[in-house]
Amino acid sequence: MKLSRCRFDAVSAIVRKDFLLNLRRRATFAAMMMFALTATASLSLSTGGALLDEKFLAAILWVVIFFAAGAGIAGTFDDEAQAGTLPTLKLYGDAQAILFGKMFVAFLSLVALSTFILPIFLILFDVGVEKIFLLLVTVLLGLIGLSAAGTLTAALTTSAAVKGGLFPILLFPVTLPIFLPAIRLTEISFTVAPVDSSLLVVVAAFDAILILAASILYDYL
Amino acid sequence: MTIQFDAVTLTFGKHKIFDGLSLKFGCGKIFGVTGANGAGKSTLLKLAGKIINPDSGKVTFPDEKKIAALSPEMKLYDGLTARENLKFFARLRGKILSDEKISELGRRTGLDMKTFGDERTENFSTGMRQRLKFAILLAVDADIWLLDEPTANLDDAGRENFFAEIQAAKPEKIILLATNDKLEADICDEIITLPL
Repeated sequence: MKLSRCRFDAVSAIVRKDFLLNLRRRATFAAMMMFALTATASLSLSTGGALLDEKFLAAILWVVIFFAAGAGIAGTFDDEAQAGTLPTLKLYGDAQAILFGKMFVAFLSLVALSTFILPIFLILFDVGVEKIFLLLVTVLLGLIGLSAAGTLTAALTTSAAVKGGLFPILLFPVTLPIFLPAIRLTEISFTVAPVDSSLLVVVAAFDAILILAASILYDYL
Repeated sequence: MTIQFDAVTLTFGKHKIFDGLSLKFGCGKIFGVTGANGAGKSTLLKLAGKIINPDSGKVTFPDEKKIAALSPEMKLYDGLTARENLKFFARLRGKILSDEKISELGRRTGLDMKTFGDERTENFSTGMRQRLKFAILLAVDADIWLLDEPTANLDDAGRENFFAEIQAAKPEKIILLATNDKLEADICDEIITLPL
């Protein structure tokens, strides 16, 4: 498998480098957090404390995560292209190491985003979580798929003139097979309904497919 | 170990850069590539490094050989320090640089790592950036060096360091040097002049 070509030390170097740069600049991460916070707060205020259906609440949570993730992941490669560092990175780094390094950075950013926004969402919408472990597993599995698809889409749209608009349009259909079961699982976690474990398998399977597809397709970009 | 161009053709827009170009580059010599602006010097280096592909013809490249490059197009991470940049690019190639090795690279390239090592490169002058790129070139220990105006922005001492290093490295490496600078051209063993 292509993953075996990917050297761990190169992946960890990219993760460390991006972490340091993000920590020093903070702009991308702050934009992602602020988008999530603003969207959640405005949706909460607009619904005015109404009693909302669990399915609707689950959908709101994933829509917020999707668009906030877009604000962060869209620039994964474009920031490097704008700074002129992308050719240097591609010259010295193995393609698979670059892909998996960037994917891991995206995943860590989304985990941080979710850690920040999930409690705020639950408080603002007054949601009672019946199955916290299911909710956490669902969010983590959803973020894995979103990171894989988002990283590949970011690589695809790097040279596009209208990347801001193109990124969510391309990302949405790719992540839909993950979002639909993730929304259903999130809804179940808010209720006492029995867990449908086949949905977890579906999300995990699509995560694996997206990672594999990203690994194969990235070599051709 | 050779890089071979066989009947390479490449067109950018309406402009045919190369039309049936055939060349062979091997170890032990510094190959200078000269020509007027727009003649395709940098493009030839990109083809040699398989960074771009020809429209037709073939570029035969040694398997599993590693490239390093020094070019104005290559940028450093300005948010990282000189030391962090060096360590990062070496690590991409699986090399872990000790502090002693970093100091040694600094000495060889004329970049005082004690003074500037922990400074972010956004504060560096163009010449200092060039010295750091030169240190990265040495750190990654590649088999093929693609050098595009490598001593541009370097002072006399920087040039001397560079010329000494390139002469010492040439027996084991394929070295291509694109230039319009007379001093750079003078250290080349063979010159290929590209027509406009």
